[in-house]
Amino acid sequence: MTESTPLLSLRGVSKSYGAVAAVREVDLDIFPGEVVAICGDNGAGKSSLIKVISGAEEPTAGALAMRGKPVAFASPQEALKHGVATIYQDLALAPRLSIAQNVFMGSELTRPVLLPFLRVLDKARMREQARGFLSQLSVTVADMDRPVERLSGGQRQAVAISRALRWNAEIIIMDEPTAALGVKETALVLDLIRKLKADGRTVILISHNMRDVVALADRVVIMGAGRKYVDRPIGDLSADDIAHMIMSGNAKAA
Amino acid sequence: MLGLNWRDVVGHYGTAIAGLVLIAFFLVFAPNFASTTNIVNVLKDTSFLAILALGFALAFTVAELDLSIAETASLAAVVCGWLIQLQYPPIAAVAAAIGVGLALGAFNGFGVTVLRIPSLIMTLGTAAIAKGLAFMITQGIAFVGRWPVGFTGLARGTSFGLPNLVLWMAAVTLFAYGLVKWTRTGAHMVATGEADEAARLAGIATGRMKRIGLLLTGLFAGITAMLLAASLSSAAPNMAGDYLLYAIAAVLLGMTMFEPGKPNVPGTVFAALVLKVLGNGLVMMGAPYYAQDIVLGVIIIGSVAFSASAMKKAAFKV
Repeated sequence: MTESTPLLSLRGVSKSYGAVAAVREVDLDIFPGEVVAICGDNGAGKSSLIKVISGAEEPTAGALAMRGKPVAFASPQEALKHGVATIYQDLALAPRLSIAQNVFMGSELTRPVLLPFLRVLDKARMREQARGFLSQLSVTVADMDRPVERLSGGQRQAVAISRALRWNAEIIIMDEPTAALGVKETALVLDLIRKLKADGRTVILISHNMRDVVALADRVVIMGAGRKYVDRPIGDLSADDIAHMIMSGNAKAA
Repeated sequence: MLGLNWRDVVGHYGTAIAGLVLIAFFLVFAPNFASTTNIVNVLKDTSFLAILALGFALAFTVAELDLSIAETASLAAVVCGWLIQLQYPPIAAVAAAIGVGLALGAFNGFGVTVLRIPSLIMTLGTAAIAKGLAFMITQGIAFVGRWPVGFTGLARGTSFGLPNLVLWMAAVTLFAYGLVKWTRTGAHMVATGEADEAARLAGIATGRMKRIGLLLTGLFAGITAMLLAASLSSAAPNMAGDYLLYAIAAVLLGMTMFEPGKPNVPGTVFAALVLKVLGNGLVMMGAPYYAQDIVLGVIIIGSVAFSASAMKKAAFKV
């Protein structure tokens, strides 16, 4: 691995909720173009760590830097502006709104009308670009006005990823992207993640599915009791190896 | 895309077509319904309801209920009439009606987004306060008088050959439609109402959208109040009381057409017209006065049942 500057680095990041320390002094470097899987049992601290990276919550201690420059994400919007987009399981989309409306939610395109300062939604351009993002992900849906609730689970993930592409996010955090999906849909989502990687984007993947992790990730980070205790390239690790590391970590923590 | 799916047609336009059939029925069968005078009266009558209901629809668009619209309108009308009685110029009375509407709308928005009180409770409280204030100002007696034409003309006159009331309705309808369909603020309001958390995570200021929705609801109640007072040359502390249920019925019936399951502007306005036609037509056909209330209740329940079943059909099955 080349020793380039990390795209994102965490130093001594801790997050406590009152007396409960969910994340303890985690150092983590994410390099451009990597797929990093964060694993660990329930309560290991991965969700809390992700909330800090995505700007949903501020760390109790520690610092974040992007390309070596210190950053602080006070909100998901600030993280988005720095190119860090998070796809939250179940929370990402408005089911009854259209594909185009979902992709451009909160960042709608407008065009001037009549007067220079009077701007209206540019629905045609949003449809066209939404279609572009989806086809970038090799997902074809005929009608960009179709409500998201009428799409399959995999297609919905593609819509959520399209929103990250619309923000031109460099780092895309995916929280259990295949958790609720069947076999075929899971394969589609894994393909989506490979396309993101091929496109040069960096993906942080939170997953309980060790086979997904082995199939996709370049590196695995395992957490237990709020600490990071494994951080290594996947190499020839098998799904079982990772599962064992998670369990032995639990044994250590207990 | 070219072949029409009859299910879609029924789902989107079924109740609208039923409304048209109803209007046609009264035009043919109700004695005197079809006279020009009566039709103009129905349209004028519709305008109060449509404007008030559009306000309710905007609050509903951001997923909040505003049950204070009728009492807000009554209070705004009373303040408006009070200033007219005190010989203030019409512009001051108009500003007061709008101001009361905006103030109560802002108050509701504050309660819902800052104090985090559910809108159902917050707006019920506001309604009670507004009602009390209206009775306090009037001491329970309506303001009536020979009011200046400069004020009453707002609602009674005609412009460009059309009744002013109808023009007000058209302007408010266009404003609400343009806001929701054409502007970013409208898109953010819709997203907030559809999926609060997703909208927030996508960077939308959802609290602000809810405040805007409730503020506009108050504004529309203020406009309705001004028009009611101008139209009747009077202001009574309970003058808009009956409008709450009608406005809710208009919004819910409107949600069965054009954009099923969603509060929408064209549906609300058309539903307001259908409700007023129904009320007027029933009177013209000699139905007893209480028939309207029963029909209204049936429409409220029926609309929601219809929307619920339409949404079940639309839901994707894995």
